Amino acid sequence: MSADALLRDWIAPSRRRRFADTLLLALPLLFAIAAISWRLAGLLTTGVLLLGGAALALVVARQRAARHDRVWLIRTLDAARPELEDSSALLFSPIPPASPLQALQRTRIAARLDQGTPQDLAPPWSRRPVIALLLAAMLIVAAALLWPRAGEGPPRLAPSEEGLPATPGLPRLIAQNLRIVPPAYTGLPARDSAKLDARAPLGSRLEWTLRFDPDARMPRLLVVDGQALPLRRDGDNWIAGRTLDRSFLYRVDPAAGGGRTPPLHRLDALPDNPPQVKALGPALTLVKPGQRSWSPSFAATDDYGVAATARLRVTLAIGEGENVTFSEREIAVSGSGPGRDRRFAPSLAFSSFGFSAGGDMVAQLIVRDNRSPSAQEVRGPSVILRWPSARAPESSGLEGMVNTTLPAYFRSQRQIIIDAEALLKRKRSLSADRYLARSGAIGADQQILRGRYSQFLGGEEEGEPQLPTADAEGHSEGDGHDHGPPQAKPAFGAPEDVLASFGHPHDDSPASSLDPETRAILKQAVDEMWGSERELKQGRPDLALPFANRALRFIKEVQQATRIFLSKVGPELPPIDPTRRMTGEREGLASRTLDVTPIASSDGPAAAAWRALEGKVTPDLDPLERWVRANADRLPDPLALTGAIDAARREPDCASCRTRLRGLLWTAMTRPTGQPMRRPPADAAGARYLRALQGAAP
Amino acid sequence: MTMERLIAGLLALAVLIAAIRLILWHRSAPGASALRLIALLLLQPLCATLLFLTLYPPPVAGGSASLRIATAGASRLAVRQGGGLVALPEAGTLQGAEAAPDLATALRRHPGARQVSLLGEGLPPRDIDAARGVQVSYDPPAPPTGLVSLTPPPAAAPGEAFTVGGQIAGLPGASIALIDPAGRVTDSGVPDKQGRFRLTGTARAAGNSLFTLRIMSGKRLAAQAAVPLTVRDVKPPRLLLLAGAPGPEVKYLRRWATDAGFHVTSRISVGGGVLLGDAPISIDTATLRRFDAVLIDDRSWAGLGGQRNALLAAVRDGLGLILRAGGPLDRTTRAQWRGLGFALSGNNVAAPLALPKPPAAAMARTRQGIASADMPDDMRLPADFIPDVSRLALSPAGDQAVTLLRDASGTPLAAWHAAGLGRVALFAGLDSYALALTGHGALYDDWWRALLRAVVRPAPGSASLPGISWAGERLILCGIGGDAQVERPDGAGAALQQVGACAAFWPATAGWHRLHDKGAATPFYVQPADALPAMRAARNRDATLMLRSTAPRDGGISLPTPGPAWPFALAWLIASALLWWFERSRLGRDQPTRSTM
Repeated sequence: MSADALLRDWIAPSRRRRFADTLLLALPLLFAIAAISWRLAGLLTTGVLLLGGAALALVVARQRAARHDRVWLIRTLDAARPELEDSSALLFSPIPPASPLQALQRTRIAARLDQGTPQDLAPPWSRRPVIALLLAAMLIVAAALLWPRAGEGPPRLAPSEEGLPATPGLPRLIAQNLRIVPPAYTGLPARDSAKLDARAPLGSRLEWTLRFDPDARMPRLLVVDGQALPLRRDGDNWIAGRTLDRSFLYRVDPAAGGGRTPPLHRLDALPDNPPQVKALGPALTLVKPGQRSWSPSFAATDDYGVAATARLRVTLAIGEGENVTFSEREIAVSGSGPGRDRRFAPSLAFSSFGFSAGGDMVAQLIVRDNRSPSAQEVRGPSVILRWPSARAPESSGLEGMVNTTLPAYFRSQRQIIIDAEALLKRKRSLSADRYLARSGAIGADQQILRGRYSQFLGGEEEGEPQLPTADAEGHSEGDGHDHGPPQAKPAFGAPEDVLASFGHPHDDSPASSLDPETRAILKQAVDEMWGSERELKQGRPDLALPFANRALRFIKEVQQATRIFLSKVGPELPPIDPTRRMTGEREGLASRTLDVTPIASSDGPAAAAWRALEGKVTPDLDPLERWVRANADRLPDPLALTGAIDAARREPDCASCRTRLRGLLWTAMTRPTGQPMRRPPADAAGARYLRALQGAAP
Repeated sequence: MTMERLIAGLLALAVLIAAIRLILWHRSAPGASALRLIALLLLQPLCATLLFLTLYPPPVAGGSASLRIATAGASRLAVRQGGGLVALPEAGTLQGAEAAPDLATALRRHPGARQVSLLGEGLPPRDIDAARGVQVSYDPPAPPTGLVSLTPPPAAAPGEAFTVGGQIAGLPGASIALIDPAGRVTDSGVPDKQGRFRLTGTARAAGNSLFTLRIMSGKRLAAQAAVPLTVRDVKPPRLLLLAGAPGPEVKYLRRWATDAGFHVTSRISVGGGVLLGDAPISIDTATLRRFDAVLIDDRSWAGLGGQRNALLAAVRDGLGLILRAGGPLDRTTRAQWRGLGFALSGNNVAAPLALPKPPAAAMARTRQGIASADMPDDMRLPADFIPDVSRLALSPAGDQAVTLLRDASGTPLAAWHAAGLGRVALFAGLDSYALALTGHGALYDDWWRALLRAVVRPAPGSASLPGISWAGERLILCGIGGDAQVERPDGAGAALQQVGACAAFWPATAGWHRLHDKGAATPFYVQPADALPAMRAARNRDATLMLRSTAPRDGGISLPTPGPAWPFALAWLIASALLWWFERSRLGRDQPTRSTM
């Protein structure tokens, strides 16, 4: 057995023991920390703390175990085992003994070493600290779990602040507590409110615990504009519960109408706001070369939480011009991040949607919040991905047509001229046949180009010029060319297609909308092309060139003409001549009256009470309160107004209550439109002056 | 004088009678000492003389020629230097100073004073007249800081927008806010370089309300003032709406005027003599007298023909006329409108209009009042896009016309011009109805209300009331009848003593007062005595500075003023006591006697 193996054998038990002992010490500490953090900060923090604590404990344990090394072993053995004669270092030394004496001693000691076991050297369990720590940890855990929370356990009553004088014999509210249990989906903890006024999420459960002195007989909660809520006895206290389904005002009535009216308390229901969706990228992006998929990103926020999954509505617009097809589909996407601020970044592969060049892809995120029972659904903004068509950008209308078709023709005509000139230059190097063939090929190009122009002009130039001879055929049914299918007789009342009944259109070409001048020039160009084609086909490109050049010039002329023709300025309408109005047939036309009904705007009771409150008079508050109730949705804060009305009614002499009510009534008045203040009329001297300014006799 | 002489004669007579009686009594009384008689005879006229001098003490010549007057805010340090100090009530109690209720009293007490040197902020209006008689030397203190001027709005019609103007001094970086009666900020702004500012609020129903002007210097409240606003119901105007063709502009104008409660008669021509709108009326002098304002567009103006003269004659008698362009004007109309006093310079084409930036939503809500039941609330807030409103590039303003409305770039949009007793206004905006459709209804209402207000036929108003008055300061109410009364805030009445058409009134308390006159009650607000201190100080300072430049009105002779009477009264009392004792005493006689006095 080598010295190293021996050393490992001897220190391993000690190390294991030390390691386990340290972990045992750390365990209660970890439990205590976990319990406290779970109570204070929640599960996530607890997990993080536990992991961190465990890692720390492992590190510390390893370090403590590592202290049991060779030096420790030698020292310990020498101290504990006298029979080793302070020579154990010889046994565990990695260097072989240098002298024979050392070797002899080592052999002796090695024989004695096995009288003891390595386990004897293991440090004892630290029992006392472990027990103490365990006890402390148990206490801490128990405290953390059992410590009462706000909103749990029996409520603690706070002294009331009703501000009413004590009247002997009449019960009076002396202590109060309002427990607010928000709906579970909000994730908010229940809380106790020492005051009877509170703001709580809509749908919260409200539990009142009240105490009266002397004890009341039949106390109630009087809800303004609602049903009274009876209180139940619960030991010394009185309790009641209700769901906060709207904001309301109420008062605690301990004596069933006896004594002074207690003040109003206000409970505001805070509605759950619908989620907000924001697109994190630009509204319109273009496909980059080589892009295969698209991931639009959205952020959805809500006051209590957005549902983890949302729907993405993808609308595809594929095709160009008038031939666009739309398809729509919804896919489920899941978000990431905390519930109140979720991110959605779905990846949309082009192949799975059939998205191709020239199309638009529109994505819209539809999210829900976690409100129960009915979640609120919100559609976010649309973001568009556009895959531009490979073709040249197209504009609308005739301008687009001319721009895309005519330049191609120009290039062709110019190309024919260039080809013909090149052919002329190479005339010597080519054989006659080849020269003729080349010239014929250019002539064929010229024929195609001429044919396209003829087509543009309505086909009238198609074919060779007709001979003005008697064998020209008449135009009749069955004369050989196509006249289209026989027309069905239009139904009675349908607009008759006069042209279709009496012939067929020859000029259903785009050029039929050209003005006659342009048409004439184009016809001349076609004539010149015809000459060019004739000469080319006969192998005389030199003679064809003048024709071709003239054709190009005419086409250029048309190009300039069409530029004028296609002006982008809006229509210049002729000025209206009012004298010509209504000079046509006027049967059944006569002057008539047009009725107009003014809209009803009413703030009558509010304005009346506002005026009355200026003086010492106490206005009649009942119609005002009825009006406030009826118009609650138009008023900025109807509850405050109702409360102020109640305060003014309870204490008619309270000046500050009247001022407050008057101020709130200002917010409850309409602003009348239109009425102007009139200037005072001029007195005699002023009138004389004004008339004199005008030049009239004073 | 006569009274003095009469008294003197009576006294002399009394002395004579007493002397005769003394002599007669002396003769009848044997054994009386002659010395006693002489003493009594001498003492009697002495007493009479002293009594006379007590009643009419001899005039004193002079006293000090210059007087020092302490006014409000006189520093105690400056006051101590030198004597002859008189403290006006505003100065408070000053040690060693003679208190005087006003400057006139102080001058009466010191008849020799030819020169008055003033300490403190300056003289209140009460003393200005008295100070014109003397040479005033005044070393003005530093100009007051804070709100030195406030112009409260005049009486407004229900719902009208009003403007509060003012000026602050010595507060760099101050911001100003107008708080409505409900405590909400309804307008805010910063003053210009001179410290002037204008803030806007809106009225509601008829009644009195107090807005608050709050001046903040950084986070600190630098000054605060109440801005009283009186809203009076007005008789709804009778409006004649003439349009040459139906269109959205006339439709929305008719809707606006009808909703505002006007008596609207509209006549929309559709050509060929066919009219739409209300029952047809003929346009002549008698008909137009029934209307307060006529709103006419250029096409119906061109089609008026001979009725145009009747319309203009009615305007000269007080009718209001609003000219509205429906588009570029034709040459005749342009020339005719120019003849009414509008420059109409520029191109005869439609031009873009710079709309004012709408206020923040929270502030806009405070100016709007509650929504009507027919219109949802969010329709009253401006839409995201800018409405397509333009204007005629012809500028209505000219050297004769008064510019009424400007767009956000400062280009005149409307102007008015007097024509006899009436007025003509020209509105150069086109398609203003788009404002009503895009949530700018408040601006639409402001524009057309301003136009109507400028021209509408005048109506008899009420008494002219002071701008700002303080409790404890005399104020003058003019244009009142004989039996006018002021109702104080506590409900007590005070009859007014009328001089001419005006009367003075001393408000004792702050608050809303009411002037009852000719069956109508006109409210006016009196500020508390300690309100607007900087404005008051600035007013006194300026008025006193103006005094300094005017020479004293020194034409009349200064009256000889009587000197102190008390030494003579004391001497008379001693002399009388001596006389009484001497008569009662047995000195110089040998028998009991009676008092002769």
